[in-house]
Amino acid sequence: MAPRTAPASATLTPIEMRLGGGMLAINRLVMTFMNKRMPVASFTVGRDGWRTGALRATILLDCPEETARRYATLLGGLEDVEEIEVAEGTLEVALLDGGGDALRESAGAAGIKTHETEPGGAVVASGDPESMEGWLGSLEDGERDIIRLGPVVRPGDGG
Amino acid sequence: MQNTAYNVEYKPRTGSEAMCEALLDEGVEHLFGYPGGAIMPFYDALPDYPLKHILVRHEQAAAHAADGYARATGRVGVCVATSGPGATNLVTGLATAQMDSVPLVAVTGQVGRPAMGKDSFQETNVTGMTLPFTKHSFLVEDPDELYPTMRRAFEIARSGRPGPVLVDVPKDVQFAACEHNGYRRLREAPQPLEGPAFEAAATLLRKAKRPLILAGHGVTLSGAEMELRLLAERTGTPVVTTLLGISAFPEDHPLYIGWPGMHGAASVNRAIDRSDLLFAVGMRFDDRITGAVEKFAPNAKVVHIDVDPSELGKVVRPTVGIAADARGAIRGILAHLEEAEESDGCAEWRAEIVKSQEPEKRREADAKGEYGPIRIMAAIKAAAGEEVRLVTDVGQHQMWAAKFFEFTKKNSHITSGGLGTMGFALPAAMGVAFAYPDEPVWVVAGDGGIQMNLQELATIRDFGLNIKVAILNNGYLGMVRQWQQFFHNRRYSETPITGPDYEQFAASYGLAGRTINPGEDIEEAVGWAQEQEGCAILDFHIDPEANVYPMIPSGMSVHEMIEEDGA
Repeated sequence: MAPRTAPASATLTPIEMRLGGGMLAINRLVMTFMNKRMPVASFTVGRDGWRTGALRATILLDCPEETARRYATLLGGLEDVEEIEVAEGTLEVALLDGGGDALRESAGAAGIKTHETEPGGAVVASGDPESMEGWLGSLEDGERDIIRLGPVVRPGDGG
Repeated sequence: MQNTAYNVEYKPRTGSEAMCEALLDEGVEHLFGYPGGAIMPFYDALPDYPLKHILVRHEQAAAHAADGYARATGRVGVCVATSGPGATNLVTGLATAQMDSVPLVAVTGQVGRPAMGKDSFQETNVTGMTLPFTKHSFLVEDPDELYPTMRRAFEIARSGRPGPVLVDVPKDVQFAACEHNGYRRLREAPQPLEGPAFEAAATLLRKAKRPLILAGHGVTLSGAEMELRLLAERTGTPVVTTLLGISAFPEDHPLYIGWPGMHGAASVNRAIDRSDLLFAVGMRFDDRITGAVEKFAPNAKVVHIDVDPSELGKVVRPTVGIAADARGAIRGILAHLEEAEESDGCAEWRAEIVKSQEPEKRREADAKGEYGPIRIMAAIKAAAGEEVRLVTDVGQHQMWAAKFFEFTKKNSHITSGGLGTMGFALPAAMGVAFAYPDEPVWVVAGDGGIQMNLQELATIRDFGLNIKVAILNNGYLGMVRQWQQFFHNRRYSETPITGPDYEQFAASYGLAGRTINPGEDIEEAVGWAQEQEGCAILDFHIDPEANVYPMIPSGMSVHEMIEEDGA
């Protein structure tokens, strides 16, 4: 899988939120992005742990932080949004097959942390989205399978 | 468990009954609607409850009527429709309410749960369809959730920045037995705010040499008219309103100077351009007001108060932003102005504004002597008196009414501002008339918009509503024609429009009607309408090419303003 083109702007502001309301909430959230023409560079959503029916979503807004804070306020007004915050930083996680010293070294140089499930096996890599974008782009390795799990603000409690 | 409203034992009851009980417990008296297959269980339960249902002739009118009711009373308006086309017909009304922050609850029937998702007869995804212009929407699939969801819908509709909420109820859920009545308030009412921003805003007001208060619909929604007046009088600050803020401040008050924007008064636009402080409260800097934002109020610091925090900085970056209800915020600021006197220079500023208004006042005085829209507005005000509520449609007549009808009673001007919905006035006036049956209600509409919901004359007749209608009939979609005149070389493409003989049309509904031609006695005709029992329609034939001045072309600034004298 080829890495995506890096965003043009380096002013990505992460916003994390907890949603109730299931699919309709996601629908309403995406519709709000569209209605307000929000500069959403990335949108990741998943369950907020197994014990709740809630969802946790992380968006990266390609705009100055002050504007992002206004959008966060706007999103916070939605009934489905139970919690929302402009996060300090964000983390992107990627899974790669086939580790090795060269991969580890290049990751370290790019500020990416890696963990190999077994020697030469799958690699879990994590780092800030811009570094991850640059590192994955630098691999120039069309044969390697890469699964990007999208930006998340924090790992959560297993969700 | 006791029903707090009726003190009767709760028994297992149907979803429809739970819906009616929720309406009663919310204090609903009137609902505007139109039955159909998927909402039949609700309509079957309805006669057993002291709820007054108004059968309209089109669901769009139900939404507008509920909207007019809500705007006039400050309470949540309620409309009801069936699934499919009934629900889709509500859409324009919901969008109208959303744009103008009007609290509505729309109840729609949905096909039964087993039929959902199968393209069943009259099935449509109304929750999905209305996502962009409802404050929230519910599809209730659990009968036990029906009562609390209905209650919550009201709470959401009226809390914070008000707006429309949709509750979609499958037919089998309306039939189903439901036992629980669990409901708890999920959000607390906002607490009075304190903070340095109030003092900062007060300081800016005290120090400004050329301040303006810019009051919007939020003042009316929060009932802050008295606080606004106190603030203006204590600081000697001239008051400007938005289109929807009209009647939040009495127009006969010496500090009132008019409303700005694309068709607002030239003197007001110039005052904003010269102002060194805009004290904006309950308004959102709509593009019809700002025009080119980068040239808007270039010399002014801005205090912006809005209950919706996401409005602060959306268009204009405030010097001081306060996310609060207008009434609470103005009170908070007044607390820092107890000893205040107007700043040095404020008297000169007011004198400057008064002088700049002179040409407009001369033109208005001249126009009042001639047959035309301005004289019609004056005649209606004179005949209907101080208590009149004026409901306008959208177009040239809306601008003439806003400019030349002197609104002195609070919340007496009702119009569709944000969405600009033609066809709004007649059904919205029905809502106003149900809210205040003993007070005069006039509709001013164009010959285009009035035809969009003209079927509601039947509803008006059936309920004997005392609504007087003035149609400013120029045989055109006048505002579009005016734009074609100025910006499209007078190519009047599809703007000439015909209509019925309104006198005969009114008669066919058993209503009074008259045609008034140029040169005829406007005051006599208005007086005649006023004397008729129930609804009367006046069809004023006016100059087909009369224009609304001034005019700031879209996206331009006050410096590109087109004025009547060619300036």
